[in-house]
Amino acid sequence: MPDVSKPQDPLLLVDTVDVFHGDLQAVFGVSLQVQPGQALALIGANGAGKSTLLRAITGLTPPRRGSIRLAGQSLAGLPAERIAALGVALVPEGRQLFPSLSVEENLQMGSMAGRRGPWSLQRVYELFPVLQQMRTRPATRLSGGQQQMVAIGRALMANPRLLLCDELSLGLAPLVVEEIYRAFARIRGEGLAIVLVEQDVARACAVSDQMLCLLKGRSTLAGASNAVPREQLATAYFGE
Amino acid sequence: MDWIATAVNGALLGGLYGLFGLGLALVFGVMRVVNLAHGEFIVAGAYLGVYLVAALPQLPPWLMVLPVALAGYALGWGLQAGVVNRALQGGDLLRPLMLTFGLSVVLRNGMVQAFGADSRAIDGGELTRAGIDIAGLRIGLYPLLVLLLAAVLFAALHWLLKHSAFGRTVRATADLPEVARLMGVSPGRVFNRVMGLSIAFAMLAGFLLAQRTLFTPFSGVERMLIAFEVVILGGLGSFWGALAGGVVLGMAQLLGQKFDSNAGPLYAHGVFVATLLLLPRGLAGDRR
Repeated sequence: MPDVSKPQDPLLLVDTVDVFHGDLQAVFGVSLQVQPGQALALIGANGAGKSTLLRAITGLTPPRRGSIRLAGQSLAGLPAERIAALGVALVPEGRQLFPSLSVEENLQMGSMAGRRGPWSLQRVYELFPVLQQMRTRPATRLSGGQQQMVAIGRALMANPRLLLCDELSLGLAPLVVEEIYRAFARIRGEGLAIVLVEQDVARACAVSDQMLCLLKGRSTLAGASNAVPREQLATAYFGE
Repeated sequence: MDWIATAVNGALLGGLYGLFGLGLALVFGVMRVVNLAHGEFIVAGAYLGVYLVAALPQLPPWLMVLPVALAGYALGWGLQAGVVNRALQGGDLLRPLMLTFGLSVVLRNGMVQAFGADSRAIDGGELTRAGIDIAGLRIGLYPLLVLLLAAVLFAALHWLLKHSAFGRTVRATADLPEVARLMGVSPGRVFNRVMGLSIAFAMLAGFLLAQRTLFTPFSGVERMLIAFEVVILGGLGSFWGALAGGVVLGMAQLLGQKFDSNAGPLYAHGVFVATLLLLPRGLAGDRR
């Protein structure tokens, strides 16, 4: 495939996309961009359209209007499996591990797209040593936190250029969330671009460079994560 | 002694019945599709065998298992890629059911048109007439080899699904097709290969059965019934259960035939109903 990326292209460019669930519109004209090595936090209440936007980027629910580009290349019309091969990986909400597969087999599935890069089984086990002891167990028999580690490791095994994380902390104990986010800091060190969906606004802003707040499918606030005015954020998050 | 010999022969026939069900169970387990044309593919394997054995008289008939299985794989692959994958889009369970039902009608009548409605059989040569004596029992060599082949195929499929990268992808796709797509896996391509394997097993089993009994283009319905009973008896999704189910059905049929020479299959169906009443989840239970 020809390398169409130019230095000025952001790694991910989402340009005024409308995304639908069947006949119901969930995202209205949202735009964003992420540079390599940057993390963008998507925040917003339940039903704000965050997960739908992530699904649109993966190609599972392609946008009906607007465009999505990865390093300059349009993703329009590409099926999800092709977009995965271009280097987009998702840690899905609720983890979505394959129940018939062991921990290690789940991780191996991550590398099916065949991309080369720094991540391997060994590197994932270094990041989450507990998974190595559990490697032959059915993945869905693990604790919630360990399952989340498998889901993250599986996405990393794809050696993605863009990592999408949907609600990493959902349903986990605070101590476990701490552990997951410590690993997250190490993952960021690898220089890949990240879009992070998180309900916990303070946490989301602490681990990201940019933030974008959605309300009922529309973008209400965008800016640097470390300089968000509180009152403005409350309005953007909950509405007037 | 006679009854024991009959029971043993029934168990040997069961290997073949297990193969009937194996392909059906595989397709159902992976893509939740009941292939109603499975029986017609079994018969198509028999007709292809008739043709090959007649065309290549210098080769031993059993050698034709290879081209028949390969043709089955190609046919299944093409069927899935050509039409079934399209019928699967949208997640409507009725669509693939209607598609394969229509296909069974077309295949059945196509075979009548091409081969006529006469009963046929394949002469398997010396091998099908040879027998061995074990502990005073006369056992047909051919049924014994068929059961061994069935066991080998079951073991091979089991290994493929449990320990190969292909099997891992098949299991993951069966679990969560959408998530598998996020890993770069195209479910359609996985399904193509699975249907290829399924039809290869079906046509192979049809070819092997044609060396034991007569068949016509209409035999598919009856074979399909056996395949169904094998799958349900074994427990949905359990491959070893399917082999056990085949053995139980084969024994019931031959023992029934000995007891009442007009109605062997009736006893097999009766055992099926009785087993379902006593063990509603099948011999191996339902692992899901």
